[in-house]
Amino acid sequence: MGTLIAAVLVLLLGAAACLLPLPNRLRAGIGILSQCVATGLVGAMVAPVLVGGEVLVGELAWAYPVGTLRVRLDALGAFFLAWSLPMTLLGSVYARGYLQPYLGTQRHVGVHYALLNMVSLSFVLVYAGDHALIFLLGWEIAALSAWLLVIWDYTNQKVRFAGFNYLVSTHIGLMFLVAAVMILYTHAGAWDLGSFGAWLQRNPGSERNAVFLLLLTGFGLKSAFFPFHSWLPRAHAAAPAHVSALMSGVIHKAGLYALVRFVWLTGTPDEWMGWLLIAFSACSALVGALYTVGQRDLKRLLGYSSTENVGIAGIGFGIGCLGMSWNNPTLVAIGFAGGLMHVLNHAFFKCLLFYAAGSVYQVTHTVDIERLGGLARRMPWTAAGFLVGGIAISALPPFNGFVSEFTLYSGLFSGQDLPAGAQVALCAVGALLAFVGAVSALSITRAFGIAFLGTPRDPAVHAKAEASQWMQVPMALHALGVVLLGVFPALGLLMVQRAVGIALGQLPGGAQAASVGVLGDLAATVSRIGLLAGTLLLAVLVVWVLRAWVGRISPAARSATWGCGYAAVNARMQYTGASFSSDFGRRFDGILVRVQRQKAPEGYFPADAWLVTDCVDAVERRLFDVIRHGDASASAISRQFREDDPRFAFAAGLVALVVIAGLVLLAGGPLQ
Amino acid sequence: MSANLVALAVVHVLMALAMPILLVGVVNRTKARWGGRTGPVLLQSGWDLLRLLRKQPVYSLVATPLFRAGAYVVLLASALGALIAPMLGAYAPLHFAHDFVLFAYTLGLARLFLMLSALDVGSAFEGMGAAREASFSAFAEPALFLLIGCLGIATGQTSFALLVGKLHASPVFAWLVVPVVAVLFILLQSEASRVPVDDPLTHLELTMVHEVMVLDHSGPELAAMQFAGSLKLSTYAGLIAALLNPFSPLDEPVAATIAALLLMGAVAVAIGCVESLTARLRLRRVPRYLLLASLLASLCLAAASAWGR
Repeated sequence: MGTLIAAVLVLLLGAAACLLPLPNRLRAGIGILSQCVATGLVGAMVAPVLVGGEVLVGELAWAYPVGTLRVRLDALGAFFLAWSLPMTLLGSVYARGYLQPYLGTQRHVGVHYALLNMVSLSFVLVYAGDHALIFLLGWEIAALSAWLLVIWDYTNQKVRFAGFNYLVSTHIGLMFLVAAVMILYTHAGAWDLGSFGAWLQRNPGSERNAVFLLLLTGFGLKSAFFPFHSWLPRAHAAAPAHVSALMSGVIHKAGLYALVRFVWLTGTPDEWMGWLLIAFSACSALVGALYTVGQRDLKRLLGYSSTENVGIAGIGFGIGCLGMSWNNPTLVAIGFAGGLMHVLNHAFFKCLLFYAAGSVYQVTHTVDIERLGGLARRMPWTAAGFLVGGIAISALPPFNGFVSEFTLYSGLFSGQDLPAGAQVALCAVGALLAFVGAVSALSITRAFGIAFLGTPRDPAVHAKAEASQWMQVPMALHALGVVLLGVFPALGLLMVQRAVGIALGQLPGGAQAASVGVLGDLAATVSRIGLLAGTLLLAVLVVWVLRAWVGRISPAARSATWGCGYAAVNARMQYTGASFSSDFGRRFDGILVRVQRQKAPEGYFPADAWLVTDCVDAVERRLFDVIRHGDASASAISRQFREDDPRFAFAAGLVALVVIAGLVLLAGGPLQ
Repeated sequence: MSANLVALAVVHVLMALAMPILLVGVVNRTKARWGGRTGPVLLQSGWDLLRLLRKQPVYSLVATPLFRAGAYVVLLASALGALIAPMLGAYAPLHFAHDFVLFAYTLGLARLFLMLSALDVGSAFEGMGAAREASFSAFAEPALFLLIGCLGIATGQTSFALLVGKLHASPVFAWLVVPVVAVLFILLQSEASRVPVDDPLTHLELTMVHEVMVLDHSGPELAAMQFAGSLKLSTYAGLIAALLNPFSPLDEPVAATIAALLLMGAVAVAIGCVESLTARLRLRRVPRYLLLASLLASLCLAAASAWGR
């Protein structure tokens, strides 16, 4: 408890010191230093809990009506804290390089660092707070600081709009959350999560269901599940790269943490909750993946892939929920371990990808893939980082994304004796996950292939050298994490297994006895995967080195790319991102709305002509349509019905009769 | 027993090395017969590979180191896939629970590097091929997993070799075998770039899928790409053979091996006949053809869940 308060104080003091009238470089240094100290303090506290130590509990008396402020750090919170703070620290280090151009100017960089400290602070409050008000306070601090971090470039109207959009969305989520907490407080009569859990376990029924739905909406908005995702691509495209990385990889994982926490508080969730969670997450994964296909803004693309990945993690939590309702320890272990590992893996590779995108922006001043090309030659380290992250995000071996998806597949195709319909449904989700994987491979091939390979497409874009060292170091560390967690997946499992143990401990006695070897089996499976992944990686490296050695003996000739006999090939004739995705995207017209703006060549001597293809968010479009012209479209629909038409009158009467008869029968009223 | 297993592993590896060359030979001979010619010798593609290995490669001026490395990633990943996929029946050298995920995803890794190598040279034609490959594979991917779901319900197994090899023991084998083989055959045509999804003999860059992606490869890298392509063909042919193989490789290894060889040969003849008798589909129609596989597989899944438990 003392260490926790010390960490909070260090972060607060650091934030305050960042605001002092000092040179910008010093402010940045203070920010990074305070983050380092806080990370060390929290790490010292978290490590014992993760490896099986006791749950840390602390209390602090406070005035009425807040009551005693309870802090409780169990394995679940410890798991999230264990990587959230170090990653925020790396984000602050990256910010030092990303904000380099501002360091010598009048711009107050200290505010930015103070806000990064507040983000770290919010993690401590959310993941360790047992009092609902501490939890909500942390939640709100994270939301507000993320908003202020997003609008770094506030002079740009688009950035302000994106920030405002985020602010509104996150507060709508907060309202749902507050509503759920109000219901829980009225019933439990106390603020701590334990009392909430006690009430939830005793009272399954419509009120618990309502609370679950409210919480799911709130957390869904926080973690940008479809259809609550529309704020996300805007915010991620507008924010500085490290802020996008932290939001997508770390801050919004709080929504998933809270989801798991509250699901576990219910004791035994109803079966429909698991199915709803799976359906909701599968939709997110599918739609998020489809949206990545059409994007031309690299950061927007990565933003959509967050929606996809929270969906994939959510599928895992859904499997775990079903396991809890069916008293099936294997599914509980696989579902929650797979989901939590995916959360961790996603944090690693998503931050890596955003950092690589930020380096591209820093060097070329654009993230529009249609204007980029050939960056791999000029920025080899950034390209390598993006490729590693891209392979991981497509869930391909030998990197970490594959491990968590493998675990999820082993839950979906568990081969156990489940109800018939359930087995088919889970297989269908597995097939959908396979499709999502292939789609994300498509879009990452497209992003990497168009932006980093080939030749530069736009002569106005200059890429001279790599981005600053401050940006490359965090990128390298994340890449290292991606590789290590892929080759030694037991490390990832080690971090989550105590947390999964909490869920297993909630199962009734008989099922608990069966759960003894479950985590051990899982560890054996993922270690085998890691071994094979490592072998593959090593084999590729060996062959590559051998080939380079042979190539040194007889150097290869170089010649122009085969152009089918056409000699005057130029860079503009390369395949573009839009053409790469058009064949696939055409089949999903309802979701991937393509817009084209063009100026056709005119006259006998056309001066200039252009065509811009982009993909807009269909959900957001419809949302805005309803807000703006909802009344108009409703009356337009009603105008299509003619009240004086006898057929319409008859049909309406019939429908009314059927509805009344149905209600009467359902109520079982006067007929009996 | 363990000597038996080692022998089986050796046979599997030898077949994985030899069958890609032989099967391509059989397909080409079959096509030649339909065309009234004798056709090349069976080992022709092997000689071609040797010839390529001796040649000095020419790289595009645009290509990065990824281009050269990509070819070997494709080769090694396909090889790992071939070690997981059963060929002789209910046996594969590498087998553990849910290894089919690793199979599908190593082939995915191979595909990713194939597409990236294509994009690396900055040619519009190769980009076109990569886009087609990406889109077709996305449509084909669910079919494999639906099929595995169906086999899982019918057999109660979780490793690829047992899922495929143990279908014999299932009461629904008799009527499940035809649609399952059909799905695998469609997947083979898609993964190994055969007619009607892709035509390996097409003469125009604009209409190619696989061939256009390796246009700029030469020498040993082209050999690696070509062998990886044929390896995928023989892997899928091996899957079909393992599904139909009436002998158990653990009890009757010799009979199972001979049966596997004959069945794979028969699959190659079937590929050749299809290629001789039908034209490839229009590119826009291909996703529909691939969705047919998913549809068939989901019907199998529903049926297996209703009657096969």
